[in-house]
Amino acid sequence: MRRAAYNLGIPNLSANPLCRVLTLAHLLRAVALLSFLLPSVAARVSDWNEPEQQLARKIVSVSGPGAIFLTVENRSSLSKRDNEIIQNGLRAALEGVGMRFVTLEQAAATVAIYLSENTASYVWVAEIRQGSAAAVVVMVSVPRAEGSTSAREPVPLSLRKISLWTQADPILDVAVLEENGAPTHIAVLDAEKVALYRWQAGKWQQEQMFGIVHARPWPRDLRGRLIPARDHLLDVYLPGVICRSAVGAPLALNCRETDDPWPLVPAGGGAGSISIPLMGAFFAPTRNFFTGALTPGVCKSTTVSKFYSAAWLPRDKYLLWLFAATDGHVHMVDGVSDQTARIAWGSDLTSVKTSCGAGWQVLATSPEANAEETGDSMRAYEFPDRDPVAVSAAIDFPGMIRALWTEAKGDTAIAVVKNRETGSYEAYRVAVVCSQ
Amino acid sequence: MRPIVWRWFVVSSMMVAGLAAGAETRPQYGGVLPVALRAAPASLDPADVSQNDSQDSAQADSFARRSLAGLMFDTLLSADDNGRIQPSLATAWQAVPGSQRWQFRVRRGVKFHDGAPLTAETAAASLRAANPSWNVVADADSVVIESSDANLLAELALPRNAIVKRTTDNKPSGTGPFRVVDWQPGKRLSLAAWEDYWRGRPFIDAIEIELGKSFRDQMSALELGKADLVEVAPEQARRVSQDGRRLASSSPVELLALLFTRDVASADEKLLREALALSVERGSIRNVLLQGVGEPTGGILPNWMSGYGFVFPVDADLPRARQEREQVRGRPTWILGYDGSDPLARLLAERIALNAKDAGLLLQPAATPTAELRLVRIPLASPDPWIALAGVASLAGLPTAKSHDGVEDLYALEVGMLATQRVIPLFHLPVSYASATRLESWTLRPDGSFSLADAWLASDRQ
Repeated sequence: MRRAAYNLGIPNLSANPLCRVLTLAHLLRAVALLSFLLPSVAARVSDWNEPEQQLARKIVSVSGPGAIFLTVENRSSLSKRDNEIIQNGLRAALEGVGMRFVTLEQAAATVAIYLSENTASYVWVAEIRQGSAAAVVVMVSVPRAEGSTSAREPVPLSLRKISLWTQADPILDVAVLEENGAPTHIAVLDAEKVALYRWQAGKWQQEQMFGIVHARPWPRDLRGRLIPARDHLLDVYLPGVICRSAVGAPLALNCRETDDPWPLVPAGGGAGSISIPLMGAFFAPTRNFFTGALTPGVCKSTTVSKFYSAAWLPRDKYLLWLFAATDGHVHMVDGVSDQTARIAWGSDLTSVKTSCGAGWQVLATSPEANAEETGDSMRAYEFPDRDPVAVSAAIDFPGMIRALWTEAKGDTAIAVVKNRETGSYEAYRVAVVCSQ
Repeated sequence: MRPIVWRWFVVSSMMVAGLAAGAETRPQYGGVLPVALRAAPASLDPADVSQNDSQDSAQADSFARRSLAGLMFDTLLSADDNGRIQPSLATAWQAVPGSQRWQFRVRRGVKFHDGAPLTAETAAASLRAANPSWNVVADADSVVIESSDANLLAELALPRNAIVKRTTDNKPSGTGPFRVVDWQPGKRLSLAAWEDYWRGRPFIDAIEIELGKSFRDQMSALELGKADLVEVAPEQARRVSQDGRRLASSSPVELLALLFTRDVASADEKLLREALALSVERGSIRNVLLQGVGEPTGGILPNWMSGYGFVFPVDADLPRARQEREQVRGRPTWILGYDGSDPLARLLAERIALNAKDAGLLLQPAATPTAELRLVRIPLASPDPWIALAGVASLAGLPTAKSHDGVEDLYALEVGMLATQRVIPLFHLPVSYASATRLESWTLRPDGSFSLADAWLASDRQ
């Protein structure tokens, strides 16, 4: 009988242990360190001793103690290292129950062990043959450890990603509220809540959690933004709903149904805040795109095509806006003209202000239609004129990029990815690194 | 050593014609999706297993019917890609200690396609209709089920247990992502996005499904741009992939087997059935008739589901088959029935008859569903091995286990079923679909059906 379960609506959150990398230099050191640590972590997550003993007991209950000819074959996804560990463990366990290993000619029984698996667990099967009698099959199942993915870091140093947060539920956005070399206070937005976490005693600890009230079902491909504010903690933008944290204590989140515009340019405080005109855009309350209505607009132009995301590039005398439109084109709008281009980008783009190159770069996702299976990538571009020029190598992500927003300071972006291996959602801070 | 890494489903070949040339990776709303299917169901009610989509009764639970059910209906629980049970129309559940009662809390704010709210009463009525042997009652905002079925949670995730509001005019109403606009039984189904879907309105506006189309007609429709999603016959999958089409194949979720309709009646018959099982050259049938698709099997469950499937021998042993055959006097003739609407079935039946003849057995292939010995394709009911095995047992008229503890019990049950010689497993086949390049983000479920809730149509894919 299976164990009775009472599920909870909100699965447990799990903080990514890699999220406390202090600086980019520390990140590199951490990556190097991880390359040594990961194999040992993988070996540690599975304790094979109990199933080894269990299978050995089952085998000896059929064959009795004595001389056997043993073969072990790995028919599962177990790594070579785990396979070796398990083979050694099985041999030790069999010796422990009175088995001796001999050649085929000397054996009273042959035991063929197969390390197999099904979707739920590893299945270790032993076929025991004695004389001309039919083989007897015994087996044990071993719960499968959660898979871990190895971080792959591309070689070029132009774009860097730093893991901020990982959880099972889809992440819509992450905002860094405080940092001291590395983030120490973050807010994580998902479909039903905003959760605040503080770095304390060497780990992320949940500080507060605010539910998001909404009357209508959310649209598919739900999108949302967290915007830290100057006079209160933060604002939350979701399709048809805007929430604002209370000013002062106790901290609370007040949500209302509204189609007020979302800020395209972050206006949060901080030394590096962007000094360009604010721009708002109306988001379709039952869809996954902006309607194209802008406020105050690009000069006199207050309507553009429906778009998924936008980036901006300050020029000498004007601001060039790039809109990733729902028609698959990129629209370049400067207040005078609206040029349409087919650029090999994905649907998500944003801008960052840096001290590198021309000072402003556009971060754009890959146009890879199969990113769900193959993983996504992102690249930095500049626009010397009206054509994009790639200024960084592509940086890979372990799944499709689901969200890309410029952070409040304007010099970094938050990218949210659904990891294709683990199925979990991971938020990264993406930074452009100069002179590499 | 050949490591086997089976996931719930494997996209075996995604031959993408080309990358999108623009900003199109985020889902787009809108569009009409044309689909063609071979099944021709007479009813949309997922609990109605009385109908026959083809000559083979196993097809009453065809992959197409599962797919259709998933478009229109939801279940109380669902199984994720790893087989773990997840909330769906039930938000929480618990077993009542010391009894066989389970309590499921019904999700609030869900609407049927006719606008009526989902209540515990309607959910309970739906489950009672689908499972007359269950004791199901509504208790405030919960459904209470009394059942000794150890697989109850996985059972509730099956399409046949979808929550349906049955009306007197025989038009079942669901809560799923699409609502029925037009239904011509066995011919055509028109669906529209359900604006109030509790998981969010689907991206696609409408789906037009042509039913009863042969594999050849389906492929023609895809090539002519008249269908964006079609089924592909197993033996055609490799060619379709080589032609550069987008092909997605599931894990092997269909059992191709010889099925006897009655128990072994004598020792002689036992020997003859053994001889038949030993005579079939699965390897060469796979290479030639199945064009390399599918896995030869001697077991009922595929290895990815059980983990031990490889222990059942699959190689033909003609000398032993002849030896078994020669112990029996006389030479009985078996009629080997097959589904006449399945062109592959005829070829397979003829080839099996040839193999049997080499062992001294007489098999006469015939396109009939009533033969004592039949070549059948059995869609495995669920990725849950216990439910899958129970489904085959039910079809073969064999008893199944009421409770179970572990993989050894599963193995013992399967060995017991094989020992009856009612079933001779031959192959496990994947389910394959081909899709147009503009169709994005449709998914294959672990049970071989497709889901279009997250699918979208790229507007200008080149």
